[in-house]
Amino acid sequence: MTTIGLNAGAMLAVIHNEVLKILADKGATWAGPFGPETKFLGDALPFDSLDLATLLVAMEQKTGQDPFRAGFRQFTTAGELAALYLEG
Amino acid sequence: MTPPPAVPCRDDPVGDGGWLDAGCRLVQDGGVHDAAGLATQARDLVHHLAGAHRVAAVAATPLRVAVAVLAARTLGRELSLLRGDSLPTGVDALVGADGMVTRFPGDRPPVATGFSLVLESSGTTGTPKRLRHDFDRLTARVQAGRGRGSVWLATFDPGGYAGLQVLLTVLRGGGTLVAGPVRDVPALADLAARHAVTHISATPSFWRAFLMTGVQPPLKALTLGGEAADQALLDRLAAAFPGAAVRHIYASTEAGALFAVADGRAGFPAAWLETGVEGTDLAVRDGVLWVRGPRLATALADGRGVTDASGWYVTGDRVAVAGDRVLFQGREDGMVNVGGVKVMPDAVEALILAVPGVADAAVRVRSSPITGQLLTAQLVAAPGQDVDVLRPHVVAALAGLPAAARPRRLEFVSTLELSPSGKKKRVQE
Repeated sequence: MTTIGLNAGAMLAVIHNEVLKILADKGATWAGPFGPETKFLGDALPFDSLDLATLLVAMEQKTGQDPFRAGFRQFTTAGELAALYLEG
Repeated sequence: MTPPPAVPCRDDPVGDGGWLDAGCRLVQDGGVHDAAGLATQARDLVHHLAGAHRVAAVAATPLRVAVAVLAARTLGRELSLLRGDSLPTGVDALVGADGMVTRFPGDRPPVATGFSLVLESSGTTGTPKRLRHDFDRLTARVQAGRGRGSVWLATFDPGGYAGLQVLLTVLRGGGTLVAGPVRDVPALADLAARHAVTHISATPSFWRAFLMTGVQPPLKALTLGGEAADQALLDRLAAAFPGAAVRHIYASTEAGALFAVADGRAGFPAAWLETGVEGTDLAVRDGVLWVRGPRLATALADGRGVTDASGWYVTGDRVAVAGDRVLFQGREDGMVNVGGVKVMPDAVEALILAVPGVADAAVRVRSSPITGQLLTAQLVAAPGQDVDVLRPHVVAALAGLPAAARPRRLEFVSTLELSPSGKKKRVQE
């Protein structure tokens, strides 16, 4: 049960949309595939840790949830991040 | 008098009394520079710097810093390591990022001060603060030849205190330092995997991003510094690298390397306030940490002291005693740390307020599980201003700041949220 009622695919789409906005803000573009296996850092996505920090701020505003409130939690891929927001 | 260029011999390749460990290596941009190669480059630089009294070097890479330090040590001259483009006064020779030497012959030769290192503390605006460090103090804890076989990854600015510590550890202690063309975490993680890195010293923000890459080099020692280390991160690192020693270091350009905490817990033992640690005395006065010890900067570059008459230095770090632990709680001066970059929100806010058409603005500090902290901004447009027109002007006004100092979200609002006392809310929950 999530507070915003999104399924995994919809949550992934929210993340993808926010990623594209953050890239646009820094003048970068990304037309490559984006799926649950996409890694935020260390893969082809032109993302750095500041971008990732910004994404979490944006996601909190979008979902009203902060899965990191109690501290750092391990995630590497978009699918793993989506799962954290879907925990509800 | 300028001493002649040192004559190399087999056991003392730089002519430095054998300070450089014969087993040290720098791997940078695909090139390998061993002790003999470093010595050759240092001798060449000594030749080009002959007659100089005060030297500055652009700290572009670990290699540039290493060669400049070895040359200045041979010449017995003060060396300022530059992290930006501000040149200190009284310098009569500059080693550029490309290694080329520019001379500034003045009418009056500046006074030579002997070998010491002048480091710039990190900051986002204004003239950097420069602090003089005694070289022997900087290297006092590095044991010659003890680091052979270790492979270090360069993650810090090579001209900053932490980056220099890692470099000197390798030059004096032996081992290999691997440096990449950019300090981007995914690229560095890839480098760590390819070179089977065994030692990394980095900021907590680096480590959080490093964990996210999933890269697993054969690490034996992990060091955290430059920001306060939180318990969740220490636990994650211990789980990800169970065979490695994890320690967090309390150090700064001003205070030097004061102590290391190796018990896996955030903060440091409260007992150290009574006993001191590693030769350093610690005290909490009005909620702020004071330190006194042998590794403090000897002076500001202009000769003024950094301590009070009793040798105490005010760190500006707010701390709280919680049970048997002393925990860090941010900066007294409002400075925040975004991914290891020190940022003054007030200065960033002033830049935004100076943009015509901005009626008011508040730069907010958010905690971030990735970069420790992060800036965002709320802005109020002046009546009649089109927000879409104004936004690019604000972005342009902030473009000169390091990426970490730029607010990552610019939110236009009709009124700013104020604290109950009527002040702008700096910290956002």
